[in-house]
Amino acid sequence: MSKFLFVVPPFFGHISPTLSIGASLIARGHEVKWLGVIPVDAKHIPEGGAYIYPEADLAEYREELQQILKRQDDGPACSGPEVMKLALEETYVPIARIMMKGLGRFVDTWQPDVIVNDCITFAGALLAHIRGIPSVTTTPVPPDVMGDTANSAPKIFEWQENLVKSLQREFKVYGDDIVIHSRKLNLVFTSPEFAGIENPEPHMKFVGPVKGRPNHAAFDWARLERATTPKVFVSLGTLLVDIRAAFFQKLIDAFADAPVTIVAATNPDIFEKWPDNFIVNGFVPQAELMPMMDMVICHGGFNTVNDTFMNGLPMLITPIAYDHFHTAKLIENAGCGIKIRYKRLRIEDLKNAVFELLENPQYRNAALRIKETFIAAGGNDKAVQLLEEFAAAEQELVTFN
Amino acid sequence: MDTLDSTTKLNSSEIFDLMKQFITEVIGEEFVEEMEITMESSFTKDLEMDSIEIVSFSEKIKTHFGEQIDFTGWLSNMDLDELINLNLGTIVNYIEECQ
Repeated sequence: MSKFLFVVPPFFGHISPTLSIGASLIARGHEVKWLGVIPVDAKHIPEGGAYIYPEADLAEYREELQQILKRQDDGPACSGPEVMKLALEETYVPIARIMMKGLGRFVDTWQPDVIVNDCITFAGALLAHIRGIPSVTTTPVPPDVMGDTANSAPKIFEWQENLVKSLQREFKVYGDDIVIHSRKLNLVFTSPEFAGIENPEPHMKFVGPVKGRPNHAAFDWARLERATTPKVFVSLGTLLVDIRAAFFQKLIDAFADAPVTIVAATNPDIFEKWPDNFIVNGFVPQAELMPMMDMVICHGGFNTVNDTFMNGLPMLITPIAYDHFHTAKLIENAGCGIKIRYKRLRIEDLKNAVFELLENPQYRNAALRIKETFIAAGGNDKAVQLLEEFAAAEQELVTFN
Repeated sequence: MDTLDSTTKLNSSEIFDLMKQFITEVIGEEFVEEMEITMESSFTKDLEMDSIEIVSFSEKIKTHFGEQIDFTGWLSNMDLDELINLNLGTIVNYIEECQ
């Protein structure tokens, strides 16, 4: 049995799939812990696992971290190139720097066999490289979201490389190799068909969506059962707090008393009163709800995208910022949904798109084809198999040496 | 579709009007009405064009001017700050010089 340490960023969308795989690893008898820079409620952590928040080692970075987290609210107002700066220069690199001390201390105490770093949480693979611990990377979004900058935008590629290399040099990793991601195993939670990647590098393993993380959210199932009109699930994910009210106001304008039932995952407090055909909850058991839906509206958060196509549902995607535009393009390419950019969202178009998706079977059929590629990718079982094989092979290497 | 009469060169104000027309076609009249488009308008920030809109804008330039202007190639050689600060005036100048 092995000890796996997941190193995660302060963004739930990235933590979520690691909780699902972690639960499967624990069920197989492995020891699993998570480490991150914000506290995470114990209810999210699979039973038998533990989440480490190295508070004392983070104390000196408290203010910087608060600023980084607050800065994320600016994302929706940023242009594409500004988002690249915000993400890499103002978020990923500083978070890596902030994590190193607490991560290093914990790793030296617990001695994990494998460090699994999320793709934007560079500290995991960087520390693994420094300590000589085998590392794996998890990628919850389709890779290539920034495009092929090496060929299409050489100056941007150079900027990315320089930022990462200067981070590495700060921790005395010299040379030209980039060590913030594993070059041996990278688990990608989508299918190559959906991601539009034809010949992935051998270490990029597309395992499809994973499931099984704890979710104890309550839901008024009886009310949903009483609904007779088509059910539309709406989610804005966990970020983007600032634009929530504006987004849902558009939905109300479009669908108040229309022949649809809107099931929305958002804090109901943003409005005093919701239309009768809106079922609104701050937290929802999304995995259980999804099979009962007829379609989904979301901005392109990747866990909701995965849940949607795992259930063969069509999607209206309203990209706002970050990787949403890339995901929207993939959905249009696959034919399983319609894209309307949030900033160009008109009420009339919103209505037309929803009824088109509900009434025209071509979208649902395309969604079902994506579902097949997701299932074929193997999910939790495949991810666990790859991680176990990796841990065993690395262990053998150590013994042999 | 517009075709190029290779003997006529456009002056900067004609290019500006043409760019404005392309932008309107790409992002929709309704959204253009809400903004004031000037030579100083920044491409990504003021006009809020996303990458897909920029691609279709580039296509329009290519269709109109043909091979003489490698707009995409010009863009891809920019660094992040150049992209962030790119305004309509810079594009108009570039096209004027390339003609």
